[in-house]
Amino acid sequence: MSKTTNLQANNGTTDRYTEEKTTGLKAILKNTLLKGGPVIAFLLLAIYLSFASPHFLTGSNIINIARQTSITTILAIGQTLVIITGGIDLSVGAIAALSASIASVLMTQQLQIGSMLIGPLDFGWGILIALLIGATAGLVNGLLITKGRIPDFITTMGMSNVIRGAALLVTGGLPVPSHITATEMKGYLPDQMVWLGNGNLLGLPVAGIIAILIVILGWFLLRYSVLGRSMYAVGGNRDAARVSGINVDRTKIMAYVLSGLVAAIAGFVLAGRLNSANALMADGEELRSVAAAVIGGANLAGGSGGAIGTLIGALTMGVLSNGLNLMNVSAFWQRVIYGLIIVGVVLFDQWRRRKFSS
Amino acid sequence: MVENRVLLRMEGIEKRFPGVHALENVDLDLYAGEVHVLLGENGAGKSTLMKIISGSLERDSGKLWVDGNEIGNLNPEHSQNLGIGMVYQELSLCPNLSVAENIFIGNLPKTKIGKVDWQRLTQMANESLDSLTLSINPKELIGNLPVAEQQMIEIARVFNKNPKILILDEPTSALSDAERDRLFELIRLLQKRGVGIIYISHRLAEIKMIGTRVTVMRDGKIIGTTIVKDSDENQLIQMMVGKNLEDQFPKEKAEIGDVIFEVNDLCSENEFEGINFQLHTGEILGIFGLMGAGQAQLARALLGLGSMVSGEVIIDNHLLRKHTPNEAIKHGMGLLTRDRREGLISMLEVPQNITLAIRSQESMSSLIKLRDEKKIADDYVKSLQITPPITDRKVMYFSGGNQQKIVLARWLCSKSKVLIFDEPTRGIDVSGKADVFRLMCHLANQGVGIIMISSEMQEILAMADRILVMRQGKIVAELDEGATQEDLLRNASEF
Repeated sequence: MSKTTNLQANNGTTDRYTEEKTTGLKAILKNTLLKGGPVIAFLLLAIYLSFASPHFLTGSNIINIARQTSITTILAIGQTLVIITGGIDLSVGAIAALSASIASVLMTQQLQIGSMLIGPLDFGWGILIALLIGATAGLVNGLLITKGRIPDFITTMGMSNVIRGAALLVTGGLPVPSHITATEMKGYLPDQMVWLGNGNLLGLPVAGIIAILIVILGWFLLRYSVLGRSMYAVGGNRDAARVSGINVDRTKIMAYVLSGLVAAIAGFVLAGRLNSANALMADGEELRSVAAAVIGGANLAGGSGGAIGTLIGALTMGVLSNGLNLMNVSAFWQRVIYGLIIVGVVLFDQWRRRKFSS
Repeated sequence: MVENRVLLRMEGIEKRFPGVHALENVDLDLYAGEVHVLLGENGAGKSTLMKIISGSLERDSGKLWVDGNEIGNLNPEHSQNLGIGMVYQELSLCPNLSVAENIFIGNLPKTKIGKVDWQRLTQMANESLDSLTLSINPKELIGNLPVAEQQMIEIARVFNKNPKILILDEPTSALSDAERDRLFELIRLLQKRGVGIIYISHRLAEIKMIGTRVTVMRDGKIIGTTIVKDSDENQLIQMMVGKNLEDQFPKEKAEIGDVIFEVNDLCSENEFEGINFQLHTGEILGIFGLMGAGQAQLARALLGLGSMVSGEVIIDNHLLRKHTPNEAIKHGMGLLTRDRREGLISMLEVPQNITLAIRSQESMSSLIKLRDEKKIADDYVKSLQITPPITDRKVMYFSGGNQQKIVLARWLCSKSKVLIFDEPTRGIDVSGKADVFRLMCHLANQGVGIIMISSEMQEILAMADRILVMRQGKIVAELDEGATQEDLLRNASEF
């Protein structure tokens, strides 16, 4: 049988076999840059900031970063699943806002629907309803994309507007609880919810613990479950996945459902931290979560990415925004800088992909 | 009719790709007003040679003259300016634009203020179509035209630039015979105007109809050139095929058993219809057809991909009801796609690729034991002699033959009883081909039923126990052992 491993082509085109070089300084450098890039960027940034600002390396600031980063991290894990299947979910911020808003309204007010009086619901029902709303929104996204054959980008962008609008309708554009409901009906958010956002457990911020748990679940799902494997297969090569019997539509729908589900969790934690929900919260988180996933090594064309990388990506984003605050960069400039980072990261991703394929 | 003016002359053209000598000392010339047929099997080097003439590939060495002037390095633009026009096998028209826009795309007439001058465009298109005696409405959208007329538009577009040398790469592969006759009329018209035409084909029947001279290529070399009037088909086949068939095709006969797979009256919307056949255990059933005869769509439809609209597929006594790939795989079917990129997840490693078909049969919530997966991969790497024998490597870094083995391992792993090999040797080197054939025989010996779809005549004749010939979406003949290339071609291309 064939003992040759060198390249052969008989139809005039070069074959796709190239020896992977793992020796040589250039190759090592390239490899590190491709694979270890996120960690290096994160460390450099952290080292720089610890010299640039005396407040950076303090316990309270680090806990602060953990709290701030946790929302992006939770959303970015869902986003990672979607990006691995080759999609993009630009509705995660809106889903977080809608699910938290509806749950908060139900937990703080008494509503009359027909002749029934509902609420105020307790914390358990609130979180269940939030999760249900998140999953349903994800399901609608997934169905529109797979069965309706609308591009992922357009679907989730459009749905994002629908969902934000729905959240505005539900809250009447006011924060929940508003000062009216809070004073007249004594409708405050449940203590447990505030604890999720602001509390500590064994000295660690609860929001951070939730984020880490979701990272671990995401990592486990991607590495050990058939669903995770199907996601890589569908995003890596849709046709090949289909030929191998993978249910492509169901895999994509599941990614969006899970993304909606974790968006609901993020919304709940965020509302707890702010001690209030509103229809416009988590604005811009959809792009931050995409940036976190891509910094962490996810490829926008699908087929690669991972939970740990995404965590590092989210931390990088969190440390950066903390650093900009510590260094008194104006909020307007921060917006410009975030925009540049997101574009820059995708640019880097394109470059990486070209290097990778050549 | 042949003038003596030499339009194009090539001497000692060499081209190497890493590991393969694609063109070896190739000499070729073209006279004004002749149709020079370039004949050869897939991979003989025809397309590489044409790419060098049209400037999209650079030659390693060798000399090239156009109209008596020696030409150095060529690029596509340069080649066009020299009067070389190439009509590619795949149509490159924009279906949503009109005929006129397509002919003059990139070169639309403009008014003074830079707006497209539609009136003049239509007029120019009419002139261009008239000069080729075509009666097509220049305002019609390309997408609404039959394929043959699209082909003519493609020629009109190239011809619009007044080429002296026209290269046609298998122009009839998607045409019916009547449509082909129209194309030939057009070619004869150009011929009378002194255009030199290089006509690439692997259809022997067409040579007598249109050719002036014929050159046969094989394995990157010119085997010979003769005048068409003096040639006979058998001699040409001999030249195309070469010798030592036994080494290339290690066929062992397996014991043929019961029916394992049955197709009843399978129809698709417009690619194939009325497909009936049975496949037995241990049998290699060949399906032969020229390009576009429907065999490619059939292969995919059998697995449940796409276009089947009615009919039954029965595998191992199970009627496939939903007929999704998932159900077909569950009952033991597997498909090696003609394009390996469509079969592999190139950025995943070997174990993930090999186990993909069994994963698709598991519930989405079940868990994967990575260690078992690695062991399965190690076993197949060993038994199929996949080189290099490393499993934690992305499959994109394996050679064509080894990638094919990895796809095969996937179907062995999912315990396939019926395997469809769609163009199994496309893009694989000679020793890799022999490996794939050996594995096919080995599988047949173990009782697997194999459907081998191929447009390579020698390999299908050598390997298949029985051959079905398809033409225009139907099975038109069943050939038993001992059939010849002529039998195949006659059945595949006649009316």
